[in-house]
Amino acid sequence: MLSFLNPILLLGILGASIPIIIHLINKKKAVSHKFAAIDFILETNKRIYVKFKLRQLILLILRTSLLVFLAIALARPLIKNLGSGTAEKNIPTSNVIIIDDSYSMQYADRHESFFISAKTVAKRIVDTLTKDDDAVIIGCSGIALQVLPELDYDKKHILNSIELLQPGFVTTHIATALDTAVEVLTTAKSPVKRIFLLTDLTRNGWDPSWFKSGHEKLRRHVSKVHIIDISEGKTLKNIAITRVEPRLDILERNAEGQIKVTISNFSPVRAKDVLVQVLLDGKRVTQGFFNIDAYASESKEFFFTVEKGKDHTGWVEIAGDNLSADNKRYFTINTSHKLDTLLIDGDPKTNIYESETFYLEKALNPGREHVSPIKPVICSIQEVNNFAFADFNIVFLCNVETVPSEKIQELEKFVKEGGSVIFSLGNKVDAVYYNNALSALLPHRLHTTRTFSSDSPLSEEQPLHLKTSEPIHPVVRILSETQMHTLSSVKFYRMFYIDPTPLGNCKTVLSFSDDTPALIERQIERGKAVLFTSSIDRDWTDLPVKPFFLPLMQQLCRYVSGSMTEEVHKEILVNHGWQFPCPYDMNTIEITNPEGTQTIVQPRFIDNERSFEYNETTIPGIYAVTAGGKSHPQLPQKFPVNVNATESNLDKIDQKEISAFMGGTNLTITTSHTGEGPDVLLGEAKKTLWGSLLFLALCILLVESFVSRK
Amino acid sequence: MAENPFDPVTLSKIANMELRARLVVDGALSGIHKSPYKGSSIEFLEHKEYSPGNEIKHIDWKVLAKTDKYYVKQFEEETNLKCFVFLDTSGSMGYKSTGVSKFEYAATLAASLSYLLLKQSDLVGFVSFSDRVLQYIPPRSRLTHLHAILNVLAESKTTGKSNAGVILNEFIEKIGRRSLIIIISDFFDDTKKIVRQLKYFQFKKNEIILFQILDPYELTFPFETITFFESMEDDRRILADPKSIKNRYLSEINHFVETFKQSCFENQIDYWLINSSTPLDQALIKFLARRESSLRSIQKS
Repeated sequence: MLSFLNPILLLGILGASIPIIIHLINKKKAVSHKFAAIDFILETNKRIYVKFKLRQLILLILRTSLLVFLAIALARPLIKNLGSGTAEKNIPTSNVIIIDDSYSMQYADRHESFFISAKTVAKRIVDTLTKDDDAVIIGCSGIALQVLPELDYDKKHILNSIELLQPGFVTTHIATALDTAVEVLTTAKSPVKRIFLLTDLTRNGWDPSWFKSGHEKLRRHVSKVHIIDISEGKTLKNIAITRVEPRLDILERNAEGQIKVTISNFSPVRAKDVLVQVLLDGKRVTQGFFNIDAYASESKEFFFTVEKGKDHTGWVEIAGDNLSADNKRYFTINTSHKLDTLLIDGDPKTNIYESETFYLEKALNPGREHVSPIKPVICSIQEVNNFAFADFNIVFLCNVETVPSEKIQELEKFVKEGGSVIFSLGNKVDAVYYNNALSALLPHRLHTTRTFSSDSPLSEEQPLHLKTSEPIHPVVRILSETQMHTLSSVKFYRMFYIDPTPLGNCKTVLSFSDDTPALIERQIERGKAVLFTSSIDRDWTDLPVKPFFLPLMQQLCRYVSGSMTEEVHKEILVNHGWQFPCPYDMNTIEITNPEGTQTIVQPRFIDNERSFEYNETTIPGIYAVTAGGKSHPQLPQKFPVNVNATESNLDKIDQKEISAFMGGTNLTITTSHTGEGPDVLLGEAKKTLWGSLLFLALCILLVESFVSRK
Repeated sequence: MAENPFDPVTLSKIANMELRARLVVDGALSGIHKSPYKGSSIEFLEHKEYSPGNEIKHIDWKVLAKTDKYYVKQFEEETNLKCFVFLDTSGSMGYKSTGVSKFEYAATLAASLSYLLLKQSDLVGFVSFSDRVLQYIPPRSRLTHLHAILNVLAESKTTGKSNAGVILNEFIEKIGRRSLIIIISDFFDDTKKIVRQLKYFQFKKNEIILFQILDPYELTFPFETITFFESMEDDRRILADPKSIKNRYLSEINHFVETFKQSCFENQIDYWLINSSTPLDQALIKFLARRESSLRSIQKS
């Protein structure tokens, strides 16, 4: 049975009238010439005229048929293979149409994106369904569906659900979609159960591990799987920003931003002079060009000046290509965090290396110019009256023997109002004094000191080590896995035992190897008090010379001050949740997505910690965080959400591999071309005629040129 | 480069036909000192008694001396030749491809020949015809007679079909013996009939010269595009692809010319094929040279 994929192009047959018209016009336009020896022409023409007429007629037929064949070939005729399609006709079918809504489907190298094409194809498939067939449309985004979609007999509903489907910024998860489809079809009552998968066949969406068991489910519960390659079998080309790593160096007057940009070329040809622009607060601050080999990546660092004391948002972008979703990558830089800390040195020495606060100060603010946002100020206990605690965010009491009583009251008030105090102990510390004078601030009452050293005659046991407590405290989370392991390498020769009964709402941050607390925090109204039960210098431990001492101290400062947000926020990928510890006095925050949609987020307990969690990161961009409509110092003002770069790789999976994955499944893989009819899409048309017709047209063209030259 | 004054195109620019004829003939004769047609000039006819008014120079003084009577010599002015120039003015003669039309060429040729003959005091008659006689000027020998011929030539227009056979038939009685008959035409006609008629003339010891004037396009057929060929003598119209018929056409026309030429040769009719792009003086020189040699051969025999 002959049918056409582009029947509208059959109108091109009208073009066959062109040679006829030209023929008639030429006949009319033939030059008239009065000629005396016309009898000889007549004599000659008697024989040749017939030949001439015949040749003209042949040429006319050839030219007309050439146009007719061309028009028919362009209308893409095909002969329907009656054997494969009719078996399912008149039998009710249940259909799950999976539309790949990952962002690679936004690829558009023609007038419309793959996603739009997929929707068109899906509508055509729905059009072929009868009133006894039911169907459902599902996406491919990999988001676990809370409610299993239901099969529907109403074509209008199905077409409407196709219309409502929007392209996402997620990665492809064929396995999840197939899982859902199988689950839907398992409950279907129709004897024929079909899955239509409309995808661009990019490799990253196919999880081979699922098919190890999944193919069996498909074989058992699904009659037929139709995979329709929306990309028309083409090799896809894409250039993407796969990574941006901003850094911030805060200098005396301003800050220097640095961003490492990685551009990947997922194309079979070298990409030349790819323009990369870095925009900060909507203004271009720097740009550069990349030359990237085929299927390779290249990184470059860009530098720019950032105004201090502000939150900055920006993005890196490249010139548009066929897939625009990965041509932008967002980042935020926060230069407004400044933690003023007062380090009260209880054991100052002339030789500063021996001072109690030497290592702590270096950890909080390493280098001179290259300073961190933590600004430490050192003073002795004698000088403490010269400072008002309210001017600082954190006060360290490092091996302080006594504190003037009025300063103790000031300190208590300071903590209650949101400040933080961190106690580190030492040989100057008198447990009795501390327990009496500072009991309102200490997390636990101090007990006695114990000394551990195998070398010392005073030793009772081996030195203690550090270990994390469960659950892992946010302060410790910053440490890398290697650093976590090296916690056990720290030696503690002396420490204070504490009273097991906490004096308030306390949490252990770190413990010693004998499970006694090493670092404890106590929430006191809006502020925090932290007790480190050993010394902060090298008198009792080698902790200050360990590599993780610096991040640990800085993170501790950030934590206690409620400024866990870093200067450069880690990027969050689309559909990945954003979490942040809930400040003490906060109950709700508002998060506004890049499209301006605001969501109220309430804290909930995650790993025993009150935190905010936001999972509606469905689109890439900058998300704003506010509390009561205003920014909050203990919350990040903004955070970036970016697409997962794995989807940018448009390397395609081979059809043979898919067949191997789905071994035993009744599988059809077809390539969709624009305007293709449902028959082809369903894999029911096997024989196309346009190739033969085009060949025939070529032959006619050759014959025509031969005849016309003769 | 100076234009060839005998080139048909150049000649056609000279409006005065007499001037054209003189230019051609004088130029052609500049290298020939003796006309092959020159014979005796004035022949004595009879004596007549003198009466007043007669010219004294014509008194035969010898007779006066013998008889003492005045007798005047009467002479009959006699020419070498009586010549009839037949010019075809049928529609086909009006064909012109690039230079001059066949008729213009033929008219100049007729004028030149007339002038040449009259200059030699030959009697020249002129006939223009198509399928009928259009103009007939009886033979005269006065040089002023040329004007009459030239006037007819100037007024002639090409029209109608050619039917030389019938025309010649009409002149069988009018043309006596030992005349020179010159026919200038393209002979797109029934040549067999023409030759048959000419045989009658030949029988009466007339000498016949045929000038077949053909256009270069008729001889080469250089057309390229599909063309409607229209007859110049009637309403016939033929659509033809010149490329496809060219070889066939050339073969046909060559066959026609060769057959006619052969037929003339067999009947001892002088035949000249002239391409209308050929300079007229060359045509005339060749013609005269050929005539001279043929007359000599006749005189010797």
